[in-house]
Amino acid sequence: MTSAPHAAAAPPLSPALRAFEAQWLARDSTQSDPLTVLRQNAMQRVMRLGLPTTRDETWRYTNLRHLTSHGFIDAPPSAPGLLQPTASLSLVGVDELAATVLMVNGHPVLPGGIDAFFNGIEITSLRDLSRTDPALVAAHLEPLSDADQARWALVNTALFVDGLYLKVTGKVKTPLVILHVSTAEGANHIAHPRVIIDAVPGSSATIIEHHVEQGTHRPLCNSATHVAAGRDSKLEHYRVFATSAGAEHIDSLTLRLGGNSLIKQFTIALGGGLVRTSLEADLCQPGAHLDAYSLLVGHEARHVDCVNIATHSARETRSRQTARAIASGTSRVVFNSKVIVNAGAAQTDSQQSCRGLLLSTTAEIDTRPQLEIRADEVKCSHGATTGRLDPDMLFYMLSRGLDRETAQSLLVYAFLADVLTGMSVPSARSAIEDALIAQLPDSQVLNKFR
Amino acid sequence: MDKGTSLLKITDLSVRVAGKDILKGVNLEVRRGEIHAIMGPNGSGKSTLAQVLAGRADYEVTGGSVTFEGQDLLALPAEERARAGLFLGFQYPVEIPGVNNVYLLKAALNAKRKAAGQPEVDAYEFLALIKQKMKLMQMSESFLSRGVNEGFSGGEKKRNEVLQMLVLEPKLAILDETDSGLDIDALKIVSMGVNSLRDPNRAVVLVTHYQRLLGYIVPDHVHVLSGGRILKSGDRSLALELERRGYDWVQQESKVA
Repeated sequence: MTSAPHAAAAPPLSPALRAFEAQWLARDSTQSDPLTVLRQNAMQRVMRLGLPTTRDETWRYTNLRHLTSHGFIDAPPSAPGLLQPTASLSLVGVDELAATVLMVNGHPVLPGGIDAFFNGIEITSLRDLSRTDPALVAAHLEPLSDADQARWALVNTALFVDGLYLKVTGKVKTPLVILHVSTAEGANHIAHPRVIIDAVPGSSATIIEHHVEQGTHRPLCNSATHVAAGRDSKLEHYRVFATSAGAEHIDSLTLRLGGNSLIKQFTIALGGGLVRTSLEADLCQPGAHLDAYSLLVGHEARHVDCVNIATHSARETRSRQTARAIASGTSRVVFNSKVIVNAGAAQTDSQQSCRGLLLSTTAEIDTRPQLEIRADEVKCSHGATTGRLDPDMLFYMLSRGLDRETAQSLLVYAFLADVLTGMSVPSARSAIEDALIAQLPDSQVLNKFR
Repeated sequence: MDKGTSLLKITDLSVRVAGKDILKGVNLEVRRGEIHAIMGPNGSGKSTLAQVLAGRADYEVTGGSVTFEGQDLLALPAEERARAGLFLGFQYPVEIPGVNNVYLLKAALNAKRKAAGQPEVDAYEFLALIKQKMKLMQMSESFLSRGVNEGFSGGEKKRNEVLQMLVLEPKLAILDETDSGLDIDALKIVSMGVNSLRDPNRAVVLVTHYQRLLGYIVPDHVHVLSGGRILKSGDRSLALELERRGYDWVQQESKVA
């Protein structure tokens, strides 16, 4: 072990971490394949570093003490009874011929058992692939990192039981939906859903991860997704959190962008009581392009914390981060974004735009765009503003006879437009709009204007 | 039918903005069928008067009264004043990206119709109406798909104000420096729009800095507002005199009086 400064004083182990370790020790880890070794390293690393606390930079606003003060058991691999197909479960319209892959607490429910093939996307269970090709799985787990935003992903890496491996092999026009269902039989359950999306050079696809729940109990959802975009590939990826106020999510997304690849990523937090998302993008080949959109809706007492880090490590790479945060009630929304331009990444072009809108005096929005530049000839801009509805705009609309509720709703909707208009799946956009609007004040009024 | 009856009556109106007294006892009566011009030097309170009549909430009325068709105007929130038939053409129309021009206009028209007990406007009829008015104002069709005033030039914004006025057909239109920043062609278009609304049942109050507009829209009454008071009223010849002699003599005259 190298002597990293923080390694000197190992933090006391939280009850949650002790339980994770016990779970790990109970597993059969005698194999010596690359995957088992990697998982073991992940466990050891998180044992050494501890779970993040508010003393860690990217967790400053999100206290997980209530979660780490007790142990967890794994949530069941199947849902009790049949999955109820409610409106909230149909994010994509039938007219768009989308296929849906169901994951219950991270366990894929694949038609015909093991493999499925869908219009240019090969779908394999991670458990199966781990047996047949552990080296491939290991290669697609995120590189182990000590960074505090990646700490829960290490737990996922060590402890995930199953997951999905999607290999995009063609130009797939219809979206694929991964429906993540959280369900539990009691308190203190945890799920570690794991998804790997591997897009071969020149391929394209749209993949929507949609988090919902079933039943009265729900586990802590510690999900992790890794996307590897091959050269010249084009991916549109959504993660939509649409669970109820009692749900808690920690989601880690890592993106690796190959030469001239494009990833359009949407992070949509419109559900859950606590949603913590991280996005780490590595633009490691020339011409890679990331468009990251975040739509963070704080509602009632919800806590939403989103951290995005884009690292430019090759020439002529481009990143756009567009975040819109709305907070009403007593909610709190945190958005931290960072762009890192490594030496040699000349002609990097990056923009960070974050706007927050406070709809109540008891809500709070914290934003912090950051830049770390270690290269010359780069173009990087960032901006962050947070405020209330513009009184001049409001007065203008009132002076035309609109009632206050309508005027306010139209302004809120307009505020979100920059993110919504970027979505290229019309039915997903429309479903997300529906869900968003339902949480805004005066939603009935607003619906008339769509 | 009501020609000549009182539409707006302002009595001794005093207004404070950000702790500063701006209007200090304004008196003005506007009857149906009339066009009034309110002129005056910069900072005289012209825009404050226009905004306070439209219902701007952060302007504090410290004295006096305003009635509109006999009703206490100051007791109504801005949106109800609009529905009752009062329209303000803004000096600086705000840009509202993401809110479509047509949405706003349709919502405005429907709010007014609803208040009058009428059904919502039919979508096709509305589009036909708006296209007809746009033609009059020589506005391009691209306007239909744009956000409210989004990316408009100064002249386009003013034309949009007049377009909204034509669609909403107010009883009283207060146009706050709608002529400023317009070239001669745009000034003619805007004037034509205002004149097309001229009607024995309606009235217009033009707030302006220059006499130029009054060559195209001929007022019945001209008032000089200075230092928060109306110092002098007259007919159109007063505007010409102001053009020739400036405002100083009016201020001198009122001091002597």
